[in-house]
Amino acid sequence: MKRAAAFVTLILCTTVACGEGGGGGGGDAGQAAAKRGPINVWLSNNPEEVTWGKAMADAWNTAHADQKISVQEIPAGKTSEEVIGAAITAGNAPCLIFNTAPAAVPQFQKQGGLVPLNDFPDGASYVEARTGETAAQYKSPDGKYYQLPWKSNPVMIFYNKKLLKKAGVDPEKPPLATYDEFLATARKIVSSKAADAAIYPAPTSEFFQSWFDFYPLFAAESGGKQLVADGKAQFDSPEGQRVATFWKTLYDEGLAPKEKYNGDSFADGKAAMAIVGPWAVSVYGEKVDWGVAPVPTSTGRSAEEITTFSDAKNVAMYSACQNRATAWDVLKFATGQEQDGALLKATGQMPLRKDLPTTYADYFTGKPEYKTFAAQAARTVEVPNVPNSITIWQTFRDAYSSSVIFGKTPVADAFKAAREKIDTLAGQS
Amino acid sequence: MTGLRAARMPSLLGRHPVGLLLTAPYVVFVAVVFAYPLGFAVWMSFHDYFFAAPGATVERPFVGLENYAAVLGDPAVRRAFLNVAIFLVINVPLTVAIALVLAVALNGAIRGRTFLRVAFYVPYVTASVAVVGVWLFLFSREGLVNQVLGPLAPDPSWLVNEALAMPVIAVFVAWKQSGFFILLYLAALQNVPRELYEAASVDGAGRARSFWSVTVPALRPATVLVVVLATITGANLFTEPYLLTNGGGPNGASASPVLLMYQRGVEQGLPDVAAAIGVLLVIGVVALSLLNRRLLEAR
Amino acid sequence: MRRMIVLGLGALLFVFPFYYMFIGSLQAEPDTTVTSVLPDPGNLTLGNYAEINEKVNLGTSLLNSGIFTGGVIACTVVFGVLAGYALARLRFRGRGAVFGIVLLVQVVPFQLLLIPLYVLIVRGYGLADSHLGVILPFAINTTAVFVFRQFFLQLPNELFDAAHVDGAGELRVMWSVALPLVRPALLTVVLLTFIGPWNEFLWPFLITKQADMQPLAVSLANYISNVAGRAANPYGALLAGACVLAAPVIGLFIAFQRHFVSTDIGTGVKG
Repeated sequence: MKRAAAFVTLILCTTVACGEGGGGGGGDAGQAAAKRGPINVWLSNNPEEVTWGKAMADAWNTAHADQKISVQEIPAGKTSEEVIGAAITAGNAPCLIFNTAPAAVPQFQKQGGLVPLNDFPDGASYVEARTGETAAQYKSPDGKYYQLPWKSNPVMIFYNKKLLKKAGVDPEKPPLATYDEFLATARKIVSSKAADAAIYPAPTSEFFQSWFDFYPLFAAESGGKQLVADGKAQFDSPEGQRVATFWKTLYDEGLAPKEKYNGDSFADGKAAMAIVGPWAVSVYGEKVDWGVAPVPTSTGRSAEEITTFSDAKNVAMYSACQNRATAWDVLKFATGQEQDGALLKATGQMPLRKDLPTTYADYFTGKPEYKTFAAQAARTVEVPNVPNSITIWQTFRDAYSSSVIFGKTPVADAFKAAREKIDTLAGQS
Repeated sequence: MTGLRAARMPSLLGRHPVGLLLTAPYVVFVAVVFAYPLGFAVWMSFHDYFFAAPGATVERPFVGLENYAAVLGDPAVRRAFLNVAIFLVINVPLTVAIALVLAVALNGAIRGRTFLRVAFYVPYVTASVAVVGVWLFLFSREGLVNQVLGPLAPDPSWLVNEALAMPVIAVFVAWKQSGFFILLYLAALQNVPRELYEAASVDGAGRARSFWSVTVPALRPATVLVVVLATITGANLFTEPYLLTNGGGPNGASASPVLLMYQRGVEQGLPDVAAAIGVLLVIGVVALSLLNRRLLEAR
Repeated sequence: MRRMIVLGLGALLFVFPFYYMFIGSLQAEPDTTVTSVLPDPGNLTLGNYAEINEKVNLGTSLLNSGIFTGGVIACTVVFGVLAGYALARLRFRGRGAVFGIVLLVQVVPFQLLLIPLYVLIVRGYGLADSHLGVILPFAINTTAVFVFRQFFLQLPNELFDAAHVDGAGELRVMWSVALPLVRPALLTVVLLTFIGPWNEFLWPFLITKQADMQPLAVSLANYISNVAGRAANPYGALLAGACVLAAPVIGLFIAFQRHFVSTDIGTGVKG
C-alpha cells in the first residue's frame, strides 16, 4: 500500500504544477469596450420574462442586423448563481444576464467576472437617472456600478380573505399593523382551525430564506436599515431583537410551523398569510381571494412609512463579453421607458425606476391591485453590497434558525455571536 | 496463490506485464479526469484561493495550513463530521443486513420472483426529488407515520428533531440504495457452489445454520464490497440533507461535510475552505476503507 | 413460508413510495392527507403528463439521455472488465498503485472536483455543449472496476489453473474462461451504472446550456424547478416528471432481470 500512496502523491504533484496554467485571454478591456457585434444574453426562465425577453430581442434585432442578440434561458432557482459562477470561471459567460442576484454581485465582482458600468462614459449617469436615489444601494464598495438595478419585487403580506373570515377576522381590514395585532389575528386563525398555520415562511437553512421572514420586518422596524452598514452588522440591536422575538412567538406558539411545507402553503390553504412580491398577483390571482397589507412593525407605522425588502433582480455585464459597446446599447434599450413598460405589463414586476406610478399611470389605473406594490416599490431595502455577502447571510441564517425557529440558544447570545463573526467578514476585502 | 504459474523470467514489470496494458486506459482516464482537478483542489486548500475569470489578475498567496485551521475550528464542520459518523454507524450495518437477507430470500423464491426483483430495484432507480417527496409525506409532522403512532409520535417531529433527523436520513439511504446492494449479493450468490449447501445439509444443518456457516462466509468478498461502497457513498452524503432536511436542518443536525463543501465552495465562493474540508474527508474515508478491508478480508 | 413473509413485507416497503408517486402524479388537485394513499376516482387526470409533453421535447431529451448513458456504459464495461481482471488476477508492477487509485477515486466527493473539472473541460478542452464533454467525467465508472475486481477474485483458482495447464495466454484465459463466468456481474454492472448517468443532473446541467443538448434528467429538473410551479398541480407535476424519468429504467430492468440467474458455476468447477 505504501507504493500506492507514493504513486498517488506523484500524480498529484505533477498535475499541480500545471494547475495554474491554461486560460488567459479575455481580451483587452479598453478595446472590448468600444467593439460592436453580435452578443449573447441570458434570461431567467420564468415564462413571462422569457416572453418579454424574446420580444425585446426581436425589436432590437430588426433595427440592428449587424449586432444581433441571441437570447437563452438560464435555469433559475437555487442553482442559477452556481451556473453563472462556473461560467465566469470557464470564460463562457454571456454578455448580459437579466437575472443577476444582488447578493451574488460582490462574489462575481471579486472573481473579475463583471464589467463596471462606469467604463462607459454615460454608465453611472444612466443608472442614477433611471433609478434615482435607490441606485446608491447597488453601488459596490469601490464606488462603481457592477449591476444595473433592474426590477424589484417589494414584499408585502398577502392574506386569504376566505380563511380570515372563517377565523372571525374582518377580511376587508384585518388588524395586522402592529405585532400585537398580527399575533392576535394569527392566534385566531390557528385556534379557529381556519388554517393549520397563520403564516408559513420556509423554516429551512438556505442562506436566502431570511429575505422572506426576518429581513423585510427588520427593514420596516428599523426604518430602512440594511443587515450590514459601514462594515458593521446592524441586526444585534433593539429593533433586531424585537423582530426576532416576534417571529419566535409565532414559532413557539405553533402559529408558524417549524417544518417545511412541500408545496405552496398559501395556494393550498394551509396558511392564511404569506410574505410575497407582486409576482403573486398573477400566480394567486385566480386561485385565492386575496388582500394585501404592508409588513407589520411593533408600533404599527402607517403604510407610507413602511420600508421592505426589495427582492430585486438586476442586469450585469460579464467580462467574457467582447462586443461591449453593443452590450451597453442593448442594456439601455432593454431598460428604457418603453421596454420597462412592456416588462411591467408582461410580468407585474416593478422596474426599478423613479416615479414608477406616474410614469405608467395608465397601467396602474387599469390594475389597482398592483398599485399598492408600486407605492411600496419606492421604499425598499436591498441586501448589503459587501464582501462575503453570501457567507454573511448564511451565518445570520444559522444563528436565526437555532435561536428563533428552534429555540436552542437565546436570541441575544446567537445574535451577538453572529454579529461578531459578520463584522469580521464584512471588514475583509 | 499457489495456483499461478511461476514466472518464466523475473521481470521488472512483474509476473504479468500484460496487466499494465489492461489497466492503462483506466489509468489514463483517471489522470485526465480526476488527478488534475484533485491535485488542483489540494493545491487550493493551501492557498487563499477563489475562482476568477480568465484574464483577471488576482493574488492567491500561499497560506499554509490556515484553511485547515479555519475548518477545524469551525463548530459547524465538526458537527458535520460527527453527523456523518452517526450516519455510518446506523446506515452501513443496516444496509448490509437488509441487502443480505433480502437477496438470500429472493434467491430461493420461486413465485413472484420478477415482481420482487423489480420491487427492490425501484427505489434505487427513482430520482431523489420524487422519493424525497414521498418520505416527506411519510415522516412530516402530520404524515402517515405519526398518524399511525398517534400519541407515541416524537415531538418535535422526525425531520425537525435534532436527535432523529440523521437516523431518519440513514434509514432513508439504506432503503434507497439497498436495491443496488441486493443486486450485488444476488449476482454473488450465483457463484456460491451448491455442493457447500448439500454438504451442510448432510451434516444436519438447518436453514439458519447453513445461512450462517455457508452463505455468509461465501459472500465475504461481496460483503467487503458492500461495506466499502456503503461507507464511501455515506461519506459523500449530499442529496438527502440537501433535499430531505433542506440544507442540513434542523439547526445543522443533519449537515454533512459535502453539504458544507457545497455551501462554502459553490454558494459562498470559498473553494479553498471547501477544498480543505474535502481533503480532510478524503483522508478520513481512505483510512476507514483500509481499516474495513483489513478487518473484513482477514481470513 | 417465512421467506415469503419477509419478501412480501420488504416488497411492500420498497414499492409503496413508487406506488404513491404514481398515484400522486395522476392527481388533479394536490392531496396530502392520509386517504390520498387510495386513488380517488374524482381526482384523477393525465393532465400532469400532458403538461410535461407540451413543455419538454421528450424525443430529443431521450435521445440525449440515450447517447450519454450508452457512451458511459460502453466505456465502463470494456475498460472496467480489463482493469478489474488485471487487478484481480494478474501480478504486475504497479498493481497496488492502481488499486490505490481505484480506492482514492471512489472516496473523492464529486463536489470537490466539480468546478476544476468544469474549467478543465470547458476552458481547457473546449467541450461545452457537446456529448463528449457530458460523457467524459463518467466514462469509466470506478465502482464498476471495483465490482469486476471483486467478482474475478471470487472465481475459484482451479479454473484458472486448468486453463493455464492447457497453455492458454492471459488474454485468452480472461476472454474464454473468466468472462463467461462473470456474466451476472456484467449485467449487474450495466444495470448499476445505467442509473448514474441516467439520473445525473448537476454535471450535464453545467455543461449543456442549449436545450437541444440536454438529457432528460436536466430537462425534467428544469421543468420541475421552473415551469411546474405554475402548473395546475405543482406537486403532481413533480411526481409525473419523476415517473417519466423512472419508467424507461424500470422497463429495461424488467426486460433484462431474468438473465441474472442463468449461469451455473457449479458445473464449471467440476468440469
